[in-house]
Order: sequence, then C-alpha cells, then structure tokens
Amino acid sequence: MALYEVLSTYSCPVRSQSIYGVEPMSLTKREKLIGLLSILPIFLFLSVFFYYPTLNTFFHSFTKWDGLNETWIGLKNYRDIFSSGDVWLLLRNNMIFVLAYPGIFLFCMIVTVLLHEQVAGWRFFRSVFYIPTILSTVVVGFLMKVMFSYDGTVNQWLRMFKLDFLATTWFDQTVTAFIVLIFCYYWQTLGQGVLILLAGMSSIPEEMYDASKIDGANWWQRLFQITLPSLVQPIFYFTFINVTWAFIGLFPLIYSVTGGGPGYSTTPIDFMIYIKGFMQNGEMGYASALSVILFILVMIVSWIQFRVSERLSE
Amino acid sequence: MHNSKPFRWIRSFIFLGLLIIAVLDLYPLFYMVYTSMKTSAEFAMNPSSLPKSLYLDNYKALYYRFDVQRLFFNTLFCVVSAMALSLILAIPASFAFAKIRFRLRGFFFMMMIATMTIPGVTFIIPNYLVMSRIGLVDQFLSVIIMWSVTSLPGSVFLLTSLMRGMPDELIEAVKIDGGNYFQLITRVVIPLSMPGIMTVSIFNITGWWNDLLTPLIYLQSDSMKTLTVAVSTILSLHSQDYPLLLAGLVMTATPPILLYIALQGFIRRGLVIGAVKA
Repeated sequence: MALYEVLSTYSCPVRSQSIYGVEPMSLTKREKLIGLLSILPIFLFLSVFFYYPTLNTFFHSFTKWDGLNETWIGLKNYRDIFSSGDVWLLLRNNMIFVLAYPGIFLFCMIVTVLLHEQVAGWRFFRSVFYIPTILSTVVVGFLMKVMFSYDGTVNQWLRMFKLDFLATTWFDQTVTAFIVLIFCYYWQTLGQGVLILLAGMSSIPEEMYDASKIDGANWWQRLFQITLPSLVQPIFYFTFINVTWAFIGLFPLIYSVTGGGPGYSTTPIDFMIYIKGFMQNGEMGYASALSVILFILVMIVSWIQFRVSERLSE
Repeated sequence: MHNSKPFRWIRSFIFLGLLIIAVLDLYPLFYMVYTSMKTSAEFAMNPSSLPKSLYLDNYKALYYRFDVQRLFFNTLFCVVSAMALSLILAIPASFAFAKIRFRLRGFFFMMMIATMTIPGVTFIIPNYLVMSRIGLVDQFLSVIIMWSVTSLPGSVFLLTSLMRGMPDELIEAVKIDGGNYFQLITRVVIPLSMPGIMTVSIFNITGWWNDLLTPLIYLQSDSMKTLTVAVSTILSLHSQDYPLLLAGLVMTATPPILLYIALQGFIRRGLVIGAVKA
C-alpha cells in the first residue's frame, strides 16, 4: 500500500469504501500505520546521529583510537584516567559549579519574593532580569573577560575605591578565575531562576494567603507554610537544569572565559573531552572513555535528583 | 502578599534593591555597546570611560575585514532551516504520540525521552566521523541536522503533552467531513498547537543562535562559520583589540534580545510549561 494511499484514506471508512469499492483496511489498522509512519523519520535520524554514535563511543572507550585506526586495549583508558588523577581534578571543577548552585538559588529566591511584592515597576524589573539569560554564554564570557582583564574596568574601579589589593590578574590564579566564572554563571542564571520561581509563585491562589492571614500567620509563617511548599515543582525543575548544566553545559563558558586555564585547573569534563577529541590528535579513545564516565555520572546525578523530588512530593 | 499593605518605606527598600540588581544586569550591556564605539587607543587610556565621539570604525571593520553580513546570514540560514526540519519532523510525531494508538507507542516514547538524558558531548566524536564519512563536514547541512536531531526529543515531549489536551471531537469532526490526514494536521492540529509550537521554536532558535560547540566542530572554514563561532574564534584569537571584539559581541547579542523583547510572553509561558511538566 503506497504511502499516499495510507495518508489520503485517513478519512472515515464508509467514504473510502465508496471510493475504492473494495473492503477497506480497518480504521485502527490504518491509524496504526499512520502513527508508525509519523514517528519513523525521527527514529531514523536518532539511529544514525544518536543511538549509533553513543554505542560507538562505548565501544571506542576500550580502544586506542585516532579516528582512523583502533586497537583494542581493554580497560587501559579507564585505568589511565583514574590512576593519573586527571579525573579528580576534572570532577572537582564540575563540583565547584554544583556547590555554587545553592548561592544563586538563594539569591533567585530572595529576588523572586521581593518581585512578588509587586512594587512599582516590577514588570519592568522582571523583563530586565531575564535579558542576560537570553544572551549566548559566549557573549557573556567574552564580555566579562574584557571587563575583568588586568587593565580593565573592574580593576580600575577597585583601585578607585582604594581596594588595590583586590585588583589582580584574574585569570592567572585558579581561585580568582573561578570567581569570574561563577560571577558569569550567577549573572546569567538569575533571570532564569526568577522567572521560573515567579511563575510558580503566581499560581498560588490568593485565597490561601487570605485564609492564613485570618488565622493570624505573619509574613514569615506564610513564606514557609504556603509559598515554599507550593514551589516544590519549580524549585526541583530549576535545580535539575542547573545541576545537569554543571556537568554537561560548561563548555562555552570555559571556552570563552578561561580556556580551561591556568593549566587545566578550570577544565571540567566536557571541556577535556573537546581538548582530547579535537585538539590533541590520537586521543579519541581516551576522550571516549571520559565521555562514558560523564554519561554514567549524569545518569547517577539525575537518578538521585528524581528520587529526592519523589520524596519531597509525597 | 502584596495587599498586606506593609509600611511604605519597606516597599521603597524593595524597589531600591530591585533597581540595584537591574543596574547590575544592564550596566555590562551598556558597557559592551559604548565600548564597541571606542578606538583601541581610547580603550587603553581608560577602559571605563564613555566614547568621546560616535566612532563606528569597529563595525566598519567587521563589515569589510570580517564579512560580518555573510556570517550573519550563515547563522540565520542554519537556524531557520533547522527550525523547519525539526517542526516538519516533530509535529506529526507529537500528534501520533498524543492521539493515535499504535503498537509499542509507549516503548518508542521512552526510547525518545531516554535520549534527553544523554549529554551531547558523549557522542560528538563518532558523530563527527559519521558526518565526515557522508561528506557533510563543512556543510551547513551537518549543523542543521545536528541541531534538529538534538532538539527533537525535547520538542516532541513538550508538544505531545500539549496535544494530549486537544479535544477528540474536533479530530473526529474532520474525519467525518472526509478530511484526510494532511488536512487534519494543517487545519486542526497546527492551528490548535500554535502556542506550543511558538514556544518550542523560540527556545530552539535562541539556543541555536547562541550555540558554540556544534558549529565550532562541524563548520571549519572561516566563510562557513556562524556568528557566535566566528566571534569566539577569529575575533578573539586574532586580535587583542577589545573594542572590536565587543562590536562583534554586540552583533551576536542583538538578535536574541530583539526576539526576547518582541516575544517575552511566549518565553515566560514556556518556562512555566517546563516547570509544571518536569
């Protein structure tokens, strides 16, 4: 049965019977076929550009591979990664962003609560806060790189306020490099957090607040007894995207701000995969093994988060 | 909470706090715009000062030396094509997942959702080799395909959950009127899911416009690069001229900001959908 026929006879069976004058395919059978045909292209694409490459990465993580020639070396890549201590440095760099998350969450929460008071101009503020989020991380990264450069604006201000001891070559020390990176992260994430949390907050019915006021609850009691418990879903969503981002989304930020340096001291896993896979030839097996480790890590982290959210929703 | 009439001065303090944050949000952007209109000598003298005159040579340099309009249209072409491809694939699939019963529907849905938890870097090396084997490296098609494929699971997931709420009576009515499958999709399904399609498209478009990794890897010759990639490779590595770099950043940042200003409502609603469906 031709594709066109399947699609064009989607109409009611009586009509198609009269057209073809033969026993029509039953409606459900035709629908099933249309259903399968509708999703077929997606799975063709996913197979070629998603499932196959993922399996391929798993396979090549056990090989020495330069993109052309592969030799099976068993677990050597994994042994190298763990015994050289590389993985702990990379993981530390990812974990710093995970640990930075509660800070921006708290800040978003405070700003959201303040915005929800709906003071004059709150709609304008809400719009402005989101602008950095819509920008490319690359734009934010390079912009901050210019502002934090040694002869740049930030140091100039610090000197102006007689804080010369703080004016430094920001990108030459690990700690200050991370301060700039986390500043970029916070600057860009505030708007996202505020919009997500504010949307959750606006969906809490006003009557709940009125009722609790009649019961004599003060502002803080209302915050902890009504507002926060109603925000479990948005908070989980915001946490989930940020924690996941700390493992798989750091690439453009690191690329534009520090380039992974000084040395490898701000290089997270995904940036290292890029370096090993595309910058240093012949290290694709090693990069594949790192990819598999990252994959397993993300699975574990997602699983933990879903378990926690299930607990909280109960 | 806002009708509890707290003292006027508390509200003033809240206003002041929000204002300070707004200034912190906007100042770097103004800085980016006005510094892009300075000469590099002026920048070296004082990195924070306003430009003395309206100096547009950095933009002229982008135009004459770096062919910025070509980079701009490269990006636009890739983004628009990727959007078209992903919608053509996503809309029928979402409708099928939402409204058509067929064997293994749940299984296929899970297979698709599962891909959303796999980090993109995990499979990028073999993917690159697949692309080079079929001769698509340094062709726009490679980026268009990769963007569409990686965004499809999320888009279908969101559209499916929205289409489930579509009234069955309407679909039945089209069938009884003798409308075929194409008419059903174009006359009922697409108009009814327009808000969802808009939301998905806006998030994808800005995400793609801002993307670094995919075009960085697949488009290698300078004339094929997207704007975001060109700014972070050519401009940032070949020159220590910060005002010029900032002019490039302004060009890169403008389209997403304009899109945001025009379509804020969809973006806000989109974030809510995410928060509710997560």
